[in-house]
Amino acid sequence: MPKVKKRRLGFVLDMTPLVDITFLLLTFFMLTAKFKSEAESQQRFTIVRPQATADTSRLPDKDLAIIKIGIDTLVGDTSYYYEMTNETDWAQVVGSMEQLQQSLGGQRVRQVKVNLQELDELIRRTRIVRPTTRFAIDADRRVRYKWVEDLMDVLRQNRATIFNFVTDRRPPEQPPM
Amino acid sequence: MGVADFGGEAKRERRGGKRRRKKMRRLRYRLDMTPLVDIAFLLLTFFMLTTTLVTPQVMEMTIPPERTQVEVRQSELLTLRIRSDGKVFYNLGTDAPQAIALKDLESLAVRENVRLKNRLITVLKPSPNVPYGRVIAVLDVLNRAEVQISEQLAREGLKRERRFALAPMTEQDEQEIAGL
Repeated sequence: MPKVKKRRLGFVLDMTPLVDITFLLLTFFMLTAKFKSEAESQQRFTIVRPQATADTSRLPDKDLAIIKIGIDTLVGDTSYYYEMTNETDWAQVVGSMEQLQQSLGGQRVRQVKVNLQELDELIRRTRIVRPTTRFAIDADRRVRYKWVEDLMDVLRQNRATIFNFVTDRRPPEQPPM
Repeated sequence: MGVADFGGEAKRERRGGKRRRKKMRRLRYRLDMTPLVDIAFLLLTFFMLTTTLVTPQVMEMTIPPERTQVEVRQSELLTLRIRSDGKVFYNLGTDAPQAIALKDLESLAVRENVRLKNRLITVLKPSPNVPYGRVIAVLDVLNRAEVQISEQLAREGLKRERRFALAPMTEQDEQEIAGL
């Protein structure tokens, strides 16, 4: 009996390497984690992005204006949504549009639901505030192409002729239909 | 925690005692790491499960600044039309449109572009009613063909200059592919 007790007490597991690795992984995941932006947490739709072959080009983070075409999960109607990553630019653009501000009712939002005319106005003002702003079209793959075509016309009218389509990476084993 | 007192011994025998005392303390020193490990693992699990490592990628698109009619030679024009049901039709110049599967489109684009050496203009006309995902799928195929085209043209000592346009589908276009 006393022998067994002694052995139990003396049992020591060296946790140092375990803790080392754990902290290493923890640091890695904490630094790579990207949290949902304020605009994203406000939206009432999820975008099913079209799939494309793996590419190295990534969405830029800075000075980006994203035009989303989403299908509302509750009502099921399609609409344009506009958001910008640069907060000060966003405040300037939205602040200069009285009509839009009235419809928002003074609420602080990061994403607005817009129609084509408002979108045209927003894009024009964005180009004035910062001409180097990049545009990205983040559309649901199920929407009719008409929505994208109209949007591209608006972009063209505002001389924003270079933009990006946001896509998801297609798994390599899955060929296109 | 658990430090033995060897004070008296150290006073008596200075050098030896000091060495011994240090050794003993190191051996006996134990920090209970269990709560630390608990929290670390908890956080690790949280971050591992919440992070999405795949960031969305982009496909760059350039459109001409104005909708102007440009005169092009019919023989150097490859028209691709996407009908509202998603079917893709192609025709060279004034040929009759023919249906083509997406997997054959890549080889067609490569073949025709290499044959005409940079002079070929590809025009894509998607129907307004086709799902947007289908248009991207076609664009993706054309983008993939680009790699092979520039490779093959480079072998002939040419630099690839892409000539591509997105155009709206007119009524005439729709009629041409309606019954196929």
